[in-house]
Amino acid sequence: MAKVEAGMEGMVDMYLFETTTLIDQLDEILLRTEQANEFTDDDINEVFRIMHTVKGSSAMMGFENLQKLAHKGEDMFFIIREDPSKMKDIGFVYDLVFQMSDLFKAEIEEIRSNPDYEGTDFSEMIAKLENGAKMLQGELEEAEAAEAGEHPAAAKSGGVEAANENQSVIRVYFDQDCKMENLRAFLLLNRLKESFDVIDWFPKDVENNSESSATIQEDGFLVTLNKADVDEALKVVEQSLNVDTYEIVTDEKEESESAAQQKAAPAAEQSAQSAPKEEKTAQAKPAAEAKKEAAPAKKEAPAPAKKPERAPVQQASSNSGKQSLISVNLQKLDQLHDIVGEIITTESMVISNPELDGLKLESFQKAARELRKLTDELQDSVMSIRMVPLIGPFQKMHRIVRDMKQKLGKNVELVIEGEDTEVDKSIVDNLNDPLMHLVRNCMDHGIEEDVSERIEHGKPEKGTIRLSATSSAGEVIITVADDGGGIDTDRVLQKAEEAGLLTKPASEYSEREINNMIMLPGFSTNTEVTEYSGRGVGMDVVKKNIEKSGGSIFVESKRYEGSSFIIKIPLTLAIIAGMEVRVGDVIFTVPTSAIKQSFKITNNQIIYDTQGNEMIMLRGECYPILKLYQKYNLETETTDFEQGILILVEADGKKVCLFADKLIGEQQVVVKPFPSYLSRYNLKAEGLSGCSIMGDGSISLIIDVNNVIDKQ
Amino acid sequence: MADINKVSEQQNELNEKISKAAKSSGTEIAKALTFIIDDRIYGVDISYVNEIVGVPHITVIPGIPHYIKGVINVRSKVIPIIDVRSRFDLPEKEHDDKTSTIIITYLDIQVGIIVDQVQEVLSVKAENKADIPALERVNNNKFIEYILETNDSIKMILDVKKLIFDDDFDIEAVAAE
Repeated sequence: MAKVEAGMEGMVDMYLFETTTLIDQLDEILLRTEQANEFTDDDINEVFRIMHTVKGSSAMMGFENLQKLAHKGEDMFFIIREDPSKMKDIGFVYDLVFQMSDLFKAEIEEIRSNPDYEGTDFSEMIAKLENGAKMLQGELEEAEAAEAGEHPAAAKSGGVEAANENQSVIRVYFDQDCKMENLRAFLLLNRLKESFDVIDWFPKDVENNSESSATIQEDGFLVTLNKADVDEALKVVEQSLNVDTYEIVTDEKEESESAAQQKAAPAAEQSAQSAPKEEKTAQAKPAAEAKKEAAPAKKEAPAPAKKPERAPVQQASSNSGKQSLISVNLQKLDQLHDIVGEIITTESMVISNPELDGLKLESFQKAARELRKLTDELQDSVMSIRMVPLIGPFQKMHRIVRDMKQKLGKNVELVIEGEDTEVDKSIVDNLNDPLMHLVRNCMDHGIEEDVSERIEHGKPEKGTIRLSATSSAGEVIITVADDGGGIDTDRVLQKAEEAGLLTKPASEYSEREINNMIMLPGFSTNTEVTEYSGRGVGMDVVKKNIEKSGGSIFVESKRYEGSSFIIKIPLTLAIIAGMEVRVGDVIFTVPTSAIKQSFKITNNQIIYDTQGNEMIMLRGECYPILKLYQKYNLETETTDFEQGILILVEADGKKVCLFADKLIGEQQVVVKPFPSYLSRYNLKAEGLSGCSIMGDGSISLIIDVNNVIDKQ
Repeated sequence: MADINKVSEQQNELNEKISKAAKSSGTEIAKALTFIIDDRIYGVDISYVNEIVGVPHITVIPGIPHYIKGVINVRSKVIPIIDVRSRFDLPEKEHDDKTSTIIITYLDIQVGIIVDQVQEVLSVKAENKADIPALERVNNNKFIEYILETNDSIKMILDVKKLIFDDDFDIEAVAAE
């Protein structure tokens, strides 16, 4: 890796891991606060801490560009820290920080994967952040000027404050596009002055500063008068030319839109727009402390402090430094996992050793059972270390939905269920991309662009994308569903036909089959390629990725109702109980969970179906026989049914009898996937799910009962 | 069949040379490990070679090309194994105590190749190196990267990528796994 500070190369992995975690935390805070539209002190401090840490560690690693970027982010949040109320009204801050977060992520990925890494130039983003900071500050400075002088600033929300109870403030808006608002305001002012005592007005310089027009357009022209005069004054205002609207702004009736004013409200004295800085920080401390004590207090209940604070909604994420967590190199875990696997296999060999056959060994057996219990516990423990909840990747989807909502202009809500479900870490890593693609798919294709379409079919205006996870019987089932328009099977069939993907006449395809066609390579009904989809390499890559983890994915869809993508992933099949069987020179392992029964038969029990395939009758049911030596083209002397053995297996409701030479014995086996070099030969479809190293060093092939049955 | 872990003396020596294969100065461009198939001498660039082992018990895997014999167990790792003779469409030969397996790594993909006999570690110098004209890259010649001429004998240095993978193999996709 290039461009790293001398001597720091060993730290790069650590830096990447930490920074990625921090940026993820940042995203999470931003998403949460944006949605809830509130930013607590803790949130700000957390964000500030994140920026600060990233800045420092980037500097240490010699990544100047990242350091500068983080620095600018830090600057902006420094300003926000001074006056958190600003965060609520300014969407552009969120956009900027999200952009910054994306740049960070991309850069980190660059560092991680590109051996010729050269720092990306972030000057554009840095400039944007600087401007953002200035804008924030601009607002702040206006507010500060407010309490300083007699001329309260006209911040976005507020109006001119009446200095005492006998006064009122009028806000006047002129017609849109009437131009020269400042002069019109000046004329109005003069007219008012003729009849009344005008105490104050804003903007002050309407007479000679044409730029004040902009302010007037935005916030109106403000005039402070004696309360008694207001009614008459308003008549004058009404009669003035080009006046659009007007209103009375009093200090009791603070505008409720202004979040800042909400903060000021319960103050005993008449509050200035924003409390003076010193006062605020002094208030902030007791407020924060009180808040911490009142932890369980709900959002709405104001804490007993001068400044109403809301109890934090979620403090979990900010405490990363305090939890007892340790980050472990995944390789070490893999090693541990392998060793535990070998212990289990070897243990099996010791306990079921043929040399012990026929011996009466009570004490030994007892000890063996103890050992077995312990190794089982060890296995469970090690397995669980690698299990992580799906909450990580699921939360990331919020970000995707948010970004796409803006870009596509669709109103969609993401609902998440079962995010506590745990899956092996390696699988979770592989799930990120497919999930992302599926969610994007739902947003892009699933949810209708035209809201009226939704209403037409009795659906709510807001679209819903549902991400859910449950675990059952050694499997995790993850569903990505949308309540959008569903798959247009006609179009899909047509497209597939055009692309030459049909293997049988179009009419013979079931709806289910058609729905699942969208995952064929090279398939896409999009006529144009968008940033998000349409290249026709998406869904089939998703399918491949999921199958790589040993899982499967299929599509269910109902036109006008929506579509669901259902992913099934086995929960670490790593160690299974299997029955070793011999066929010629090869040893197969049949997962014990699939075996119903094994038995020997006589030739006269065999019956034949119309095509000459062998079958056997068992307790009134008829099962097909699958001769393993025949299926896998193996040489064996045992071709006579009476000499071999039949094993009745079942998977997914289907049953078949496997014919093998003989049973060797039951063993706990460590499942090893086939070398990637062989992945192109789709051994899974051949009914082989992996291999396993036996105690004597030989390799046995593990039978995938599901696929063995399908492909007879 | 020899025990995979029983490596002959010759193989041991070669293994040592392989692990010490640092680039030497001078005109040497690369080092190649040469081996014999029938009476012809081939070789592979030593940078791809992990080690040499004996001939293992091969577990047959159904449904794969004939030149991939199956998989073998090398220190608890399951590694696919190619028979070079089969790859060259030559008739198979019974394994004897000279038969060896060369474990190769290409882009994180490990494969073992069975050869009749391993020979030596050779220095590749520009003056010994000769290219094969593109016209002649047919049939088995497509596996050859270049030719080495030393001590009056010709060694055909193989292109590991072509040796291991078929033309339509998407290597990047597999390596990414």
